[in-house]
Amino acid sequence: MFLENVKMALGSLRANKLRSLLTMLGIIIGIGSVISIVSIGDSIRKMFSDLYKNYGVTQASIMISPYMDWNDLRDSDDFTLDDFNNFKRIFGSRLDYADNTPYESIDVKVGRNRLKVGLSGVEYNFTDFQPLKILNGRTFSEKDVGERKPVAMISENTALKLFGTENATGKHFRADFRGEVQDFSVIAVYRKDLSPIEKLLMGSQDKNGEAFVPWTILTGPADTFSTIRYYGKKNFTVEEMNSLNTDIKNYFSRVKNRKPEDWYISSVQDEMKQVDGFMGGLSAAIGGIAAISLLVGGIGIMNIMLVTVTERTREIGIRKALGASREDILVQFLTESALLSALGGLIGVILASTLVHLGAMAFNMTVVVKPAIVIIAVVFSAIVGVFFGIYPANKAAKEDPIVALRYE
Amino acid sequence: MNDVLIELKDLVKIYDTGAVKVLGLDRINLKIKRGEFVAIMGQSGSGKSTLMNILGCLDKPTLGNYFLDGEDVAAMDPNTLNKVRNEKIGFVFQSFNLISRMSALRNVEIPMIYAHKKSPAARRERAAMLLEKVGLGGRIHHQPNEMSGGQRQRVAIARALTNEPPLILADEPTGNLDTASSVEIMEMFSALHKAGATVVVVTHEENIAAYTDRMLRFSDGKLISDKKNENPTAVRDLSIFEGMYKGESHVS
Repeated sequence: MFLENVKMALGSLRANKLRSLLTMLGIIIGIGSVISIVSIGDSIRKMFSDLYKNYGVTQASIMISPYMDWNDLRDSDDFTLDDFNNFKRIFGSRLDYADNTPYESIDVKVGRNRLKVGLSGVEYNFTDFQPLKILNGRTFSEKDVGERKPVAMISENTALKLFGTENATGKHFRADFRGEVQDFSVIAVYRKDLSPIEKLLMGSQDKNGEAFVPWTILTGPADTFSTIRYYGKKNFTVEEMNSLNTDIKNYFSRVKNRKPEDWYISSVQDEMKQVDGFMGGLSAAIGGIAAISLLVGGIGIMNIMLVTVTERTREIGIRKALGASREDILVQFLTESALLSALGGLIGVILASTLVHLGAMAFNMTVVVKPAIVIIAVVFSAIVGVFFGIYPANKAAKEDPIVALRYE
Repeated sequence: MNDVLIELKDLVKIYDTGAVKVLGLDRINLKIKRGEFVAIMGQSGSGKSTLMNILGCLDKPTLGNYFLDGEDVAAMDPNTLNKVRNEKIGFVFQSFNLISRMSALRNVEIPMIYAHKKSPAARRERAAMLLEKVGLGGRIHHQPNEMSGGQRQRVAIARALTNEPPLILADEPTGNLDTASSVEIMEMFSALHKAGATVVVVTHEENIAAYTDRMLRFSDGKLISDKKNENPTAVRDLSIFEGMYKGESHVS
């Protein structure tokens, strides 16, 4: 009987193709926008989490809170080399990596080529945790860092600008560095593989050069610095990471005579949570819009079903005369409205996933359309169809066969 | 099995239009036996359509009793009435009342669909067989609008026979047909009668009533005459439905 009803419903939808399509439009747009937005949201979320995975989800850094009043800041809030070394000694067993994020911009001159190059100071094992692709050369050794050797890993772009070739390993460049001319030797050329969203987030750094050098070069024995960056152990859970962060805050509070809330820890996990929260809010807003669209679509279905019932009054009379019960008629028209709506949902899903995939292709991103979402969308639109079909179907079921048979 | 298929006892139908009450049928007493071929005659307004609706279980009497196959229709709830219509009555209407966007075959299947008994394949087979019997074997996939009036009425007859109901109820079955088609249709009813069905034809035309064995005349809601017709119109072929109506039910 169910199949019979579906067959009948398809027959009558086919008899009014244009009308059926126009009626479905509301549902198509509603479901289509939900699927698109949810898929785009999922994809962005996935991209962010991939991005953070690249940089390590256990990455965090600590500094004195930027929300603190200027007058409350003290000189001792900055970290000294001793602070940094003590920190590494105490928390070393729970850390994969730590540095003091020194940075300096220098003017480099090679022959006629001039370039501003940003130097970032890192530990020797930095490349174990950062997604750098070494094109040629070697990474830092413990000795490079320990003996403050003036060696540099330069970006592909920097190599091309300074030396006109990416095969720059073994070449040298000079720069004014802290009042004297310093000679750096290139030990590696790297490439950062950026996803489109990373490029989007970080902007193009094509204008200036960039290079990594041992952090010891950029940090003198008496220097202070504002930030310590660290990576918890790779396999740390969110809880383990949280307790590490708390312990670090407490430690520095004790050392620096501060309250724990005076410190600011920015962690990748917090950022991920923020992105999730933002996407969740966006989804809720879009969900609301989609709900309105589905409501409008549902009313459209109700309207057209009322027209259908009136048009087919005589058919209803015939069916009743031939033995159809109220339930038979009710189910017939409910099936029709549910099918109309579910079909709209299905078309919406197909349209949306096509659009989303095309868009993804254009932006060179990957998108995920979850099968669960597709099923939920189609089932939900069928439910919308049933809900808005109840009134017209009930009207049909209540027709008096004598009156209906006389209907012209 | 009861010999009497239809029994009306002091049957009264009053239409209450709010302002006025109209007496549609006035104390009708009537028995129709199984296998009879009866014409219900009268001018418009005579009450024959009202009687047709009541006999067809589409409407209920205001007073009195209507026993169909021994069961009191007046006491039935709507869903039982649906079932009775489905199993015991085959309708043939003046305006055919086929569903226009469905093929002849699908139209004939409908009563079997609502009987909820036969498999789709069995339904199709029986519908095709019936269309074959009414001479439309080559047109089973045609839609009603691709057929002549006479052909449409033959589809309607096939549809009326699907559940092999004891009562075939025809309301002005030739009203929309030319003479040749009218003869064709009435000959089919005669053949059905010959095969054992009880056929009741509502008509206002004498030459249509002349095919039947018994003529009931109505006027102003009253039964005014009940005559046997000793010489029904001769029919060329009475064997079309031979073998049907052997008593075995096609519904259960």
